[in-house]
Amino acid sequence: MSKRRTTLKDFSHKPGQLVELDRRQFLPLPPPYDKWDTEPEIKPLSEERQRQLECDLDGISAFKFPRPQSEEEKRRLVEQFLAGLKKLFERENNWTFQQALFLTMEYCARCQTCATACPIYAESGKMDIYRPTFRSDIVRRLYKKYVKAGGKFFAVVSGNDIDVTWTMVARLMELSYRCTLCRRCAQSCPIGVDNGLVTHELRKIFSQEMGVAVEALHTKGSVLQLEAGSSTGMTPAAFLDNVEFMEDEVKERTGLSFKWPMDKAGADILLIHNAGEYLAWPENPEAFAIILEAAGISYTLSSDIVAYDGVNYGVWYDDVQLAKVALKHMETARKLGVKKVVIGECGHAHKALTVIADRVLAGDLNIPRESSMTLLRDIITSGRIKVDPSRNDDITTTLHDPCNLVRLMGVVEPQREVLRAVSNHFREMTPHGVDNYCCGGGSGFAITQDLNFPDFREIVSGRAKLRQILNVFQDIIGPEHKKYVCAPCSNCKGAIRDMFAAYGLFERCNILYGGLVELVVNAMPEIERPFLEWDWH
Amino acid sequence: MSGLQVISYLSIAVFPVLLIAKMVRIARMPVHLRWDLYPIPHEKGKSAYGGSYFEEVDWWTKPRVRSLISELREMAKEIVFIHSVYKHNRPLWVFSFPFHIGMYCLIGLMALLVIGAIMGAAGIVVSADSANGFAVLVQHLTRILGAAGWILSVVGVLGLLFSRLLNRELRVATILSDYVNLLALLAVFATGLVSWITVDPSYAIMRGFVRSLITFQPVTGLPAATATHLWLMAGLLFYFPFTHMTHMVGKYFTYHKVRWEDEPNIRGTRIEQAVQAALGYKITWSAPHIKTGSTWADAAMTTGEVKNHE
Ligand code: SF4
Ligand code: SF4
Repeated sequence: MSKRRTTLKDFSHKPGQLVELDRRQFLPLPPPYDKWDTEPEIKPLSEERQRQLECDLDGISAFKFPRPQSEEEKRRLVEQFLAGLKKLFERENNWTFQQALFLTMEYCARCQTCATACPIYAESGKMDIYRPTFRSDIVRRLYKKYVKAGGKFFAVVSGNDIDVTWTMVARLMELSYRCTLCRRCAQSCPIGVDNGLVTHELRKIFSQEMGVAVEALHTKGSVLQLEAGSSTGMTPAAFLDNVEFMEDEVKERTGLSFKWPMDKAGADILLIHNAGEYLAWPENPEAFAIILEAAGISYTLSSDIVAYDGVNYGVWYDDVQLAKVALKHMETARKLGVKKVVIGECGHAHKALTVIADRVLAGDLNIPRESSMTLLRDIITSGRIKVDPSRNDDITTTLHDPCNLVRLMGVVEPQREVLRAVSNHFREMTPHGVDNYCCGGGSGFAITQDLNFPDFREIVSGRAKLRQILNVFQDIIGPEHKKYVCAPCSNCKGAIRDMFAAYGLFERCNILYGGLVELVVNAMPEIERPFLEWDWH
Repeated sequence: MSGLQVISYLSIAVFPVLLIAKMVRIARMPVHLRWDLYPIPHEKGKSAYGGSYFEEVDWWTKPRVRSLISELREMAKEIVFIHSVYKHNRPLWVFSFPFHIGMYCLIGLMALLVIGAIMGAAGIVVSADSANGFAVLVQHLTRILGAAGWILSVVGVLGLLFSRLLNRELRVATILSDYVNLLALLAVFATGLVSWITVDPSYAIMRGFVRSLITFQPVTGLPAATATHLWLMAGLLFYFPFTHMTHMVGKYFTYHKVRWEDEPNIRGTRIEQAVQAALGYKITWSAPHIKTGSTWADAAMTTGEVKNHE
């Protein structure tokens, strides 16, 4: 089995697992992870799973797609796939991205400038299958052969021919989950061609046409959110219970006793958090509540189904699901009569509701949406709350830029202004801002916890971020120094949490991760006890 | 009228028609969801670090300050200096840059040949010792741009060709038509270079040919090198619009209509109307969670599984 090299012919025809992930071929990490035995393993699937599930790309399974049992079934799946491919280029079916996709299909110069920009390709030691254009070129060939007029003839004469087999489609399915949609490649492309978009559109064929999607995104993601109220499965009643619990916890930790505004019609702001925060990191919504209460902001949370969970996984794989969730968010905002919706520390929720869904909202559902980063910046710079950065003096901080918030939305400085105001020891990673590297959990990776997919995330797709974190703290990497990676995004935190656990980063290097507002509250002089509970992480 | 003249007229007519047809096709595609990518240069005061208007509290109440100059500066950097290749792919830029500059010089050369031919038709002699000062200038510029154009373009295209052959990352991603395109360009540029050096150092022959086209006069006695070059050139003009080499057109759209397109959907605007229209489109996606045959608006309001195929 080849480790790095793959031809398209093999991709379509070669039976069995196409490539093997060998961490000794990946780019080495800085100390203390500069020896191979200090790294976690990529676990192979059990033999039984390998027999049952499609995993012939690289031995990883994100889709858990059962192997078809007959040639007839394979043929049907391939036909469905090709039917979906055609719909991507139809005005009515795909007005949402038709123009951008058409441009990406037509104008790639195959210059490979994008290759160096892709963290997954670079960190894997340049495995062909992870090259940004590898995936796109397959889709481009399919487009030229099956969608364009006279395609079958011209595909052959131009060297664009490709064989469509079920093996190929199954590998492509998995390959659409080896790209985090960070769009670093698109940023570096001289022509403006967008390989990240190709991943996005490919996922749409599987979901919108074939009804197949990664479980964490669809069945246990957007479908669950629309049915139960949250992709965490939290119902409105459970949400209200959680809020009560958090009110008590705030009292216990800070001595502050106040009710959180809930379903308050006429408030200025509807604040929507990623519901994962309530369960995994309750200190984050607690810190928000403390800050907004102290600043006297008129806001409310909502206990309406969907409206207490800002996630919108549709943005990664399905335009229809994206629209459904966005409409639910905005229906609540309309009902409450708020002036604006503010989105908590969740990058993709920011981008989904503020930017992408902007063009599915019409009429009175089109209520303005805003980032909590700007609101926090305003609260601090206007002096509505007092902060004393010396209260964070024992911690060296750095900032992770969530792709969705920064490269894909242009919210870069507000979080920095806040962080500088509350931390005297803030250092930037290299590169940062719009040139950042993804946490490794983008496009749904952070929530995909099945089988051996987390190994891929922690060891391959998060590797560039891990390298940056180790580098930025390299001079104080020992456990005697407290270090904090501020990641103002729920998904990024999830990915970083798992990566830190896999590598034992807290234990070995004393690096903690967390949100922005926790540091802010930690710097508020009127709160006596430190809000950050370092050892209880 | 010679065959070469006929084919030249045709290629000159067909080239812009095909290019414009493609532009119109792209431009008429419906409004798409936003897919901005930062930095966006027209964000005044923020583009240097990639910020956007979303960094402002209540951004929708504030006037949007856009900087046309900064956008034009970014475009100029891209067009003239091929800046993103310089920044992200220096080894390729070493050839891509002279190649593009060479092409620009050759476009300049063509314009000068047309000007010179018109002057010639009007009875003004275009040469280095002409009595007309402007004609002298045209002649000198023609020679300078021509020399730079042929040399840079040939060096550039050879470099690009060898890069494709020698660099593994490029080679494995290269398809037959990439080589065909580069060889076609090489053939046109190299014959142009040969014609210039061997038979037409003052461009009198080329200018004479252009003049024959402008005045609809027959042309005879073209040297083989020049005729070959002109035949190949006409062929390239036919072929060019069918390739990704028209990426200057694509690039206008990818940058201005996708990456830098950050127009918010404000009530009562053109965007809102376009969105309303698009939400009325019918969809035929078949997955069970989508209401097949309904409009987008309807599908977005229908949650739960739909029985599409019963
Ligand atoms: S996507 Fe852009 S950078 Fe990548 S090969 Fe194509 S043209 Fe070059
Ligand atoms: S979007 Fe990011 S992960 Fe995906 S191919 Fe591009 S650079 Fe790589």
